[in-house]
Amino acid sequence: MTIEAPVLLPADEAAPPPRPALIQGDKSPADVTRDICKPIERRAGALWWAGFLTALAALAFGIWSVTYQFMTGIGTWGLNRTVGWGFAITNFVFWVGIGHAGTLISAVLLLFRQKWRTSINRSAEAMTIFAVICAGLFPLIHMGRPWLAYWVFPYPNFRGPLWVNWRSALLWDVFAIGTYFTISLVFWYIGLIPDLATVRDRASGLRKKIFGFLSFGWDGSARTWSRYEMACMLLAALATPLVVSVHSVVSTDFATSVVPGWHTTVLPPYFVIGAVFSGFGMVLTLMLIARKVMGLEDYITRRHIHAMCKVLVFTGSIVGLAYTTELFVAWYSGSAYERFAFNNRMFGAAGWAYWIMVACNVVAPQLLWLRRVRNSLVAIFAISIVVNIGMWFERFVIIVTSLQRDYLPSTWAGYAPSLVECGEMVGSFGLFFTLFLLFCRFFPMISMFEIKTVLEPTEGHGADSEGEA
Amino acid sequence: MKKHPRKTVLPPFEGTVLLPFEGTESSRRGFLQLVGFGIAGAAISGCSRGPTRHVVPALVPAEGVVPGRPYWIATTCGGCEAGCGVLAKCRDGRPIKLEGNPQHPVSSGGLCPAGQASVLTLYDSRRFEKPLRAGAAVEWEELDPALSAALGALRSGTGRVRLLTGTTNGPSTRTAIGHFLSSFGDARHVTYDGLSCAALLDAHEAAFGRRALPRMRFELARTIVSFDADFLSTWISPVEFTRGYSRGRMLEGDTPRMSMHYQLEGRMSLTGSCADERVRVAPHEEASLLAGLCDLLEVRAGATRRLAGAIESCPRRDVVERIAESLSDSGADSLVVAGSNDVEVQLYACYANHLLGAYGRTLDLDEPSQQRLGDDRALAALRDELAAGAVDVLIVAGANPAYDLPDLDLAAAGQLIVCAEAPDETTAIADWVAPLPHALESWGDAEPRAGVLSLTQPTVPPLRAGRTLRASLARWSEDGRSERELLREHWREAVWPSAQDPGTDFDAFFDAALERGFAQTRVQSGQAWTLSADAVRPTQPSAPAADALTVVLYPKAGVLDGRHAHNPWLQELPDPVTKITWDNYACISPVTAERLDLSEGDIARLEVEGDLAPLELPVHVQRGQDDRVVAVALGYGRLGTDRFADVGPDWIGARPTVAAGGVVGVNAATLVATTAAGLRGFQARSARLTGTGRSSELASTQEHHSLEVPAHLAPPGHEVRDKDIAPRATFEQWQADPATALHGRHHVSGEDLWKEDHAGRVRWGMTIDLARCTGCSACVVGCQAENNVAVVGKDEVRRHREMSWLRIDRYFQGEGDAVSTVHQPMMCQQCDHAPCEAVCPVLATVHSSEGLNQQVYNRCVGTRYCANTCPYKVRRFNWFDYEPIDPLQAAAFNPDVTVRSRGVMEKCSFCVQRIQEAKAEAKRDGRAVRDGEIQPACQQSCPADAITFGDLNDPESRVAVRATDARGYGVLEELNVRPSVRYLSRVDHGQEEDSHDH
Repeated sequence: MTIEAPVLLPADEAAPPPRPALIQGDKSPADVTRDICKPIERRAGALWWAGFLTALAALAFGIWSVTYQFMTGIGTWGLNRTVGWGFAITNFVFWVGIGHAGTLISAVLLLFRQKWRTSINRSAEAMTIFAVICAGLFPLIHMGRPWLAYWVFPYPNFRGPLWVNWRSALLWDVFAIGTYFTISLVFWYIGLIPDLATVRDRASGLRKKIFGFLSFGWDGSARTWSRYEMACMLLAALATPLVVSVHSVVSTDFATSVVPGWHTTVLPPYFVIGAVFSGFGMVLTLMLIARKVMGLEDYITRRHIHAMCKVLVFTGSIVGLAYTTELFVAWYSGSAYERFAFNNRMFGAAGWAYWIMVACNVVAPQLLWLRRVRNSLVAIFAISIVVNIGMWFERFVIIVTSLQRDYLPSTWAGYAPSLVECGEMVGSFGLFFTLFLLFCRFFPMISMFEIKTVLEPTEGHGADSEGEA
Repeated sequence: MKKHPRKTVLPPFEGTVLLPFEGTESSRRGFLQLVGFGIAGAAISGCSRGPTRHVVPALVPAEGVVPGRPYWIATTCGGCEAGCGVLAKCRDGRPIKLEGNPQHPVSSGGLCPAGQASVLTLYDSRRFEKPLRAGAAVEWEELDPALSAALGALRSGTGRVRLLTGTTNGPSTRTAIGHFLSSFGDARHVTYDGLSCAALLDAHEAAFGRRALPRMRFELARTIVSFDADFLSTWISPVEFTRGYSRGRMLEGDTPRMSMHYQLEGRMSLTGSCADERVRVAPHEEASLLAGLCDLLEVRAGATRRLAGAIESCPRRDVVERIAESLSDSGADSLVVAGSNDVEVQLYACYANHLLGAYGRTLDLDEPSQQRLGDDRALAALRDELAAGAVDVLIVAGANPAYDLPDLDLAAAGQLIVCAEAPDETTAIADWVAPLPHALESWGDAEPRAGVLSLTQPTVPPLRAGRTLRASLARWSEDGRSERELLREHWREAVWPSAQDPGTDFDAFFDAALERGFAQTRVQSGQAWTLSADAVRPTQPSAPAADALTVVLYPKAGVLDGRHAHNPWLQELPDPVTKITWDNYACISPVTAERLDLSEGDIARLEVEGDLAPLELPVHVQRGQDDRVVAVALGYGRLGTDRFADVGPDWIGARPTVAAGGVVGVNAATLVATTAAGLRGFQARSARLTGTGRSSELASTQEHHSLEVPAHLAPPGHEVRDKDIAPRATFEQWQADPATALHGRHHVSGEDLWKEDHAGRVRWGMTIDLARCTGCSACVVGCQAENNVAVVGKDEVRRHREMSWLRIDRYFQGEGDAVSTVHQPMMCQQCDHAPCEAVCPVLATVHSSEGLNQQVYNRCVGTRYCANTCPYKVRRFNWFDYEPIDPLQAAAFNPDVTVRSRGVMEKCSFCVQRIQEAKAEAKRDGRAVRDGEIQPACQQSCPADAITFGDLNDPESRVAVRATDARGYGVLEELNVRPSVRYLSRVDHGQEEDSHDH
C-alpha cells in the first residue's frame, strides 16, 4: 500500500496559479511515483554507464595523482617560494562555491516558499554534499604533511596540550566546512526519508531490507509527517545562515592576510554571491543533463530553467558589481601596492585569466536577458558551462595573480600547474560525477512527495487514481 | 627528524684503523659513531701529536673535548691563496663550520663564500683514498720507494725536474721545495695562478726593480679608481679588501668618511655594482684611459711629461678628467688598481699611483702581499721546454694545469707526478698521483703578507690518505720526519728568530702561535723604492674590428678558477650580480642582445679568432655591461661535475641539473691564450656570437631585477618602489640631513590595536647597513653552513624553490653607465606583528618572549599559508626530502640545527642555537649575556661589518645604537608588521635622486 503525502500547501495558496503548471504532462501522483522510481528500479542505460565509466576514469587519475604526491611531496606541484597556493586552493574555493546553490535552493527557497524548487532541490542538495566532499579533500591534500591533518582539530591531546590557532582563517575554514557538510548531509538525508520509504514499499527482497533500513521505519502517519515537517523547517533555518557564512569564512583565508589583492573587506559578500552564482551554474548544467538522460522533462520543466536563468543573470550582475567595487576600492585606497596588484591582475602576465573571468562571469550571463537565449536549451547549457569555467578562473585569478607579484619585486615568480595538479583537479570532477551518477542511480533524484504537493489536479485525475500500486 | 633511506654501513671495526669513509655508504650517524671512537685522535689546539691513523677508544676522553660542545681551532683557510685566518668550529672531533678569525692581520674576521664552503670539500667522498699509479690505486709504501728511486737516479744525472704549483707562500713549504730542488742538477719551481696577476708583479719589477705585489690598503684611500679589478669579490684578497673598503666608507663616529670609488670596466662586476661612478669601457681602451689619466696627473703633480698628449687619444676624456681631479684632491690617499693581466696597463696604474704618492700610503711595498706569486713568463718557458720534450720529471702540486693551461703539453713530460686532493683533469693523465690532504686535516703555514705567518693545523684526523707536498718532498728526499716535525723545525730555525714576540721558549711561542693561528715577524722597512721612469712609455692605441666583440673571462664568486666547482654550496650560490646558479653563460648588454637578436637563455655559439674550438653557451642579458664585451665565467665545465646530474629531488617532472653525459657549465679556460708578452690573456678579441636557435632556461633566483615596476602596470607616482624598500641618498645629502633618504616614505603610525602582547626583557634585533654591504654573499653561504640549508639543484632553482634562508636581493636602476645597484640582504624580519603567526592553523609559528618569530618544525603541517602572507617572502618550504649529494657530506651538518624533512616550512631563526648557547653559557657563569657575544652566522662572516645583532631593548647595545641611526628604516614598515631587522639606508656618491614625495 502506498502512502501518499498529505498536502503541505497552506490554505491561502489554493487560488489558481497564474503561471504555467510546474509539472507538465498531466501527471497523477501515481505517475510521479512511477516516473521517478523508474531509473532506480530498472537496469542502468548505456548513457549512464558511459558517464559513470568516464567519471571513474577521471577519479582513478586523481587517485593516482594524490598517491604519487603523498609519496613524493608537494614539489610535484607547480608551486614555488612565491606562489604557495595554486590549483588545489583554487579547486577548494571553486567546489565550496558550487555547493552553495544546493543550500540556497533547499533551505532559503523553502523558507520563502518557492514551489518551483521542489523539482530540483533534491539533486541540488546532493550536489552540495558531493561538492563539499570534493572541496574538503583539497585542504587536506595541499598540506605538506597530510598525515598530520588531524592537528587542525582542537581535540584533547597529550602534547602540552597543544591547541589550535583561533586567529587563523584556515581554522575557521575547518569549522565552516565541517558545519556545512554536517548540516547539508543531515538536511538532505532527512528530506530523502519519505521517498526512501516509497521505494521500500515498491521493492522486495534484499532491496526492500536495505531501503527499509535507510528509511528508518517511516510509517507515514500524521504524527510522523508533522514532526518531519518541523525538523525540515528547523534544519532549513539552521542551514540558511550557512549560505552566507561558509563562503564568507572561506574568503577570510584571503581577506585576513596582508597580500595586496587579497586584503580587502569586500571579499566576504563578493565570495558569497559568487558562490550562489557558480552554484546555480552547476545546478543548471546538471539538471539539463539529468532531465535528458533520465527522461525527466516533465518534472524539470522550462519554467524551472527559466527561473534558474533569472537567478543566474541577477547574481552574475552582482558579481560584475563586485569586480567593479574591487577595482574602485583599489584605486580609492591610494595604496600603491593595492593599485599595482589590480593593474597586474588585469594587464600583467596573467591578465588573460582576468579577462576570461570577466567574459565568462559578467558578460556571458547578460545574454540571458534575451528570451530567445532563455528558450534555447543549448544556449543555456553553454552559458552554464561558461559560468562554471569563469568562476573557476575567478578563484585562480584571485589566488595566483595576487601572490605572483606582491611587495618585493625580487621575489616575483611565475606559476604553471604540473601534471599531478591537473590530475587532482580532473580527479575531483571524477569524484563529483561518480558520486552524482551513483546518486541518480540509487536514490530518487526528485523529491516525489514534494512534487505531489505542487501537482495541479485536472479532470479525470484525482484521489481515485491512488490505488494503482 | 629526517630519515635517510641509505642504510648505515659501518666498516668492520678491528681496533686498528680509523678509515670510516670507505665507499660512499657511510652516513652521518656512522660517521659520528666512528668519530666518537677517534675523538682522542682529534687534534685540538696545542695538541702535540701528529696525525694518527689509530683508533683510540674514548675511555679516557681527550682533554677539553666534551661530546656535544663545540671547540675552536685557529687555522688558515685553504679556499684560495689569500690566506685568511679562520676559526674552525669543531664538534665531536670534526669541523662543521669555518668562521673568520677576528684577530687575524689579513682578514680581521670576515670570510668569503669560498672560505665558508671549503668545510664541505673536506667531506667530499671523491677525494683520493689511495695514491695512484697510472690510474690504479697503490699504497704509499709502493709509491714512495718507486719515486725515491726514480728521482734518485735523476739526482746523479742531468735530468731536468720541474715543479709546477699554484701560489705557495708558506715558508716551510717553500723551504722544503728549495731543499728538494737543490738536490738536482737542473730543477726549477714554476708558479702560476689560475687567475693570474703576473702582469701586476711584472709591472712592479719593471718599475721598481723588484717583483712584488704591494699590500693594498683600501681603508686609507679616499679615492679609489679600479680598472676592471673585482677586488670586492674575486680579486687577490677580497675579504681583506672588503674590510678595508668598508672602513673607508664609515658613516659612524665623529669623522664620517665615504671614499669615492670609480670603476671602469667592460663587464658588470660586483665591485662595479658598488661603485659610486661606474663607466663602461672595453678592455682594449684601458691602456689609453690610464695613459690619459697619467698624462693629467703628470701635469697636476708637476712631474716630467712622459705621456704628454696621451689624453688627446683617450676615449672618455670627460670621465678621465673628472677622475684625475678627484685623485689629485685625494693625493696620496688614492688608489688606482687594475685587474688586467697586461703589463702596460699595470705599469700605467703603477705610474699613476706613483704620481699621486700612493706608494708608502695606500700601497705598501715594505710588507708586500704574497697572495699571488704566479709568474706567467716562467710558465711560458716551461711550456717551451715541455714542447721540446726537455722535462724529465714534472711534479704538479695543488694546481690543475690540464684545465687551466690548455696550451701546456703535460703529457710531454718524462714522468708526470701530480699531488692533488681529488681527481681532476691533471690527475687523469698523471703517471703518479700522490694525494694531498685538505687544509683542515693538515699541518702547514702560509705567509699571505710579508711578516704575517698564518698556521694551518688539523681539525680532524685525516679522513683520506692525503700527505702534504712538504712531507712528500721530504719523503722522496729520504727524509722521514713527520709533517708536524718538519713544520716545527722550520719555525724553530727560520720564524722564531725573527718573530715580533718570540719570548724565551720556542715551545711556548709555537703553542701561542697555534692558539692564535698566526705569528708575526719583523720585516725590513724603510727601503727606498724608486720608480724607474723609463719603464713608462706612451701607448699605441689599437682599434679592433668595428662590430667584433671582446671576450672577457672572469672568475665567479665562489667557484673562482674552477677549484671549487665540486662544491655544491658554491654551485648553488647565486652569482652576486646575475643571481644565476649552476651555470656559466655569455653575458652581453641589452643593446648587443638586440643587435644580435639574442635573448636570455638562448644558446649562442661563441667563436674566437684563431683555431680555438667555439663554445656554446646560454646568453645572459646583463644591464650595465659594455656593448662591445661578452663576458664568460671561468671555472665551469670541470671534469667530474657530471656527478651533479643527481642533485635535486627525483620525481616525474624533474629535469636533471646536468644534461646526460654533460658537466656543469662550459669550460672557457680554453680561450685563455698566451699573449705575445708571454702572459696569459683573459681577454680574447675579435669574437663572434651567433644564435643557434636552441635555448636553455638559466636557473636564476631573481626574475625581476629592478625596483621599477613594469611601466604599464605602475600606478602614477609609484613607478619605483625604492622608498619603501631601499631608499638611498648621496653623501652630501646625508651630511646635510642624515635622514634624507627616508623623506617621502610612508608615515608609520605608532598606534596599535593590541597592547605589546609579547614584551619580554630582551628583544633580539638586527641592523643591516646598506652603505656597507657589498653583496659579496659570504653571509649566504655562512648561513647555509650554519643552518644545514639544503642544496636543491638547478631544476628546483629554476622552479624558484631555492632553500636559502638568507638571500641578497639585488636591484638595478637605470641603464648603461647610469646603472645603480642596491644589494639588500633579506632574511626573516622577525616581525613583532608577524603576519605569518596569525595565519598558521596549528600554531607552528609563534612569537618568543625575546622577540623571535619561531618556526616549530615538529608542529608544522605545511599549509604554506605563512609563506603566502609573508610580505618579504623569506619562508622556505620543503617541497621534497632533500638529501646531501654526497652522503659523507652529511658530516658537515651542524648537530645543533634540525635537518628539516619534507612538508615543513623553514626560515631564518636569527641562529637561535647560538642565542641559546650564549644564554646557557652566561647562566652558568651567573651573568647576563654580553653585547656582541652572540653573532649569527651572517654577521660573523660579513667582511664589511654590515650586520649587527643584539638586544634592541638594551640602549647601550651596538645594535640598538645602530637601529636608532637617522638612516634606519624597516623594509615595508608601513604594513605595521614591526620588523626586528632595521636597515640603514644606502649612502654613496652616486647621482642625486629626485625625492618624490607622496
